[in-house]
Amino acid sequence: MAKVNIINKLFAAGPLILLYYLSISEIDTNLEKLIEVFSINLQIIIIYFWIIKRPNLMGTGHIFLAGLINDVVMGFPLGISSLSYLVVCFVGNYVRNKSVNTTIASDWFTFLIALLFANLLFFTLLNNFSEVAISYAKIGYNTFFTLFLFPVFWLMFNLYQISFIGAQDA
Amino acid sequence: MSVSRDDFSIAFRSALLQRGATQKFSIFSLIIVALVVFFLDVYGFTVVKTARSFINDVVYRVTYLASTPTRLFPGINQGIASHFNLKKENEELRQVIERYKSLDLNLEYISNENKNLKKVLDTEDVKSVSNIVLAKVLVDRNSPFLKSIIINKGSKEGIIKGMPVTQNKYLVGRIVETNYLSSRVLLLNDLNSRIPVTFDEKSTQAILTGGGTRKPTLSYLPEDYEFEDGITVFASGKDGIFSAGTPIGKTKYTGEVELFVDPNQLSFVTVNLIKPSKEIF
Repeated sequence: MAKVNIINKLFAAGPLILLYYLSISEIDTNLEKLIEVFSINLQIIIIYFWIIKRPNLMGTGHIFLAGLINDVVMGFPLGISSLSYLVVCFVGNYVRNKSVNTTIASDWFTFLIALLFANLLFFTLLNNFSEVAISYAKIGYNTFFTLFLFPVFWLMFNLYQISFIGAQDA
Repeated sequence: MSVSRDDFSIAFRSALLQRGATQKFSIFSLIIVALVVFFLDVYGFTVVKTARSFINDVVYRVTYLASTPTRLFPGINQGIASHFNLKKENEELRQVIERYKSLDLNLEYISNENKNLKKVLDTEDVKSVSNIVLAKVLVDRNSPFLKSIIINKGSKEGIIKGMPVTQNKYLVGRIVETNYLSSRVLLLNDLNSRIPVTFDEKSTQAILTGGGTRKPTLSYLPEDYEFEDGITVFASGKDGIFSAGTPIGKTKYTGEVELFVDPNQLSFVTVNLIKPSKEIF
């Protein structure tokens, strides 16, 4: 019984572990060796999906910390990724409060809003308060591919949720 | 109308201020904390700088450890890439099989590391060996926005901002951030990288500009300049940072420069302890 409990807890902690691992490890979602313009922001997809589906698995404190770690590893000013992740969290929380049941289509649409708000804040702060120059084309590609691939990850995370955590939505 | 406005404000407030069993902090409070941290970092207070330097050192080490699986199985990434190029994959697999026959993974890793170190020592100027620091690349996470690497040497070894970084005497980039035990190197292909260069028989002067892509481009050239393939580009040294004559790459007819050192394949680099004549950061 205790063993089953531990396994369940591990599965439940999976999304958070993945979020931390993506923030701290060298694994990147910028496959420019294959396609030069391809890059996605997987952290934002993870946060948005799990905040909508299972907010109890994705503590805001952890999201804040993952953002800080990401800033250190990527060389951005501290707190900027945390802010953009928290904006995604906020939109996710709002959507969850306002909707009874969500579908892949509704999540995709609301994710667009979350992504736009998060990226707008991220790049506005970076542009105005930091000396780091960023290519607008890269931002556009990153936003496009993140949005475009959201349904794919939605299906994968949903499958994970049904298989390992339980089918019931938040 | 007033009911829908109430609904909106309730959902809005709840999303911003809600706390629960696992949500120990409200999003609002964390946003305030993040903003404070951001502005403290941006406006560079000494305490924050010191704290950041310490955090950087710790996080880079943890990142290096966390990335161990990807280092131990470097074939994984290549495998994905090779799906798009079966011929290349076939060749690589043959090479891998050959290597596996003679060496086990551990031995191969250590011997490669040894080989690289020897290569670096052979190619660097022995007379000036006291002016260089050999560093290992800790993190080379490929961000879509910033092209930089983290090395395992910092201010403890005398590294300061602006110092040039080379590999086999070819220019790789420059130091843009130093911590006690680690440093960040801005690569030549980063959007923020601008290097004065010289090339061809007429010693044409230009600026090598990173664009965030694999190949940086040459700009600020004489009017109607026509590019030729295969001309070696050198650092001109006019910025007082890079030694004049450090080779960088070869020109392409498109105005791009094919770098001698692939920025995605760095494992060891050397930091030249040349004090920049001016602070440009």
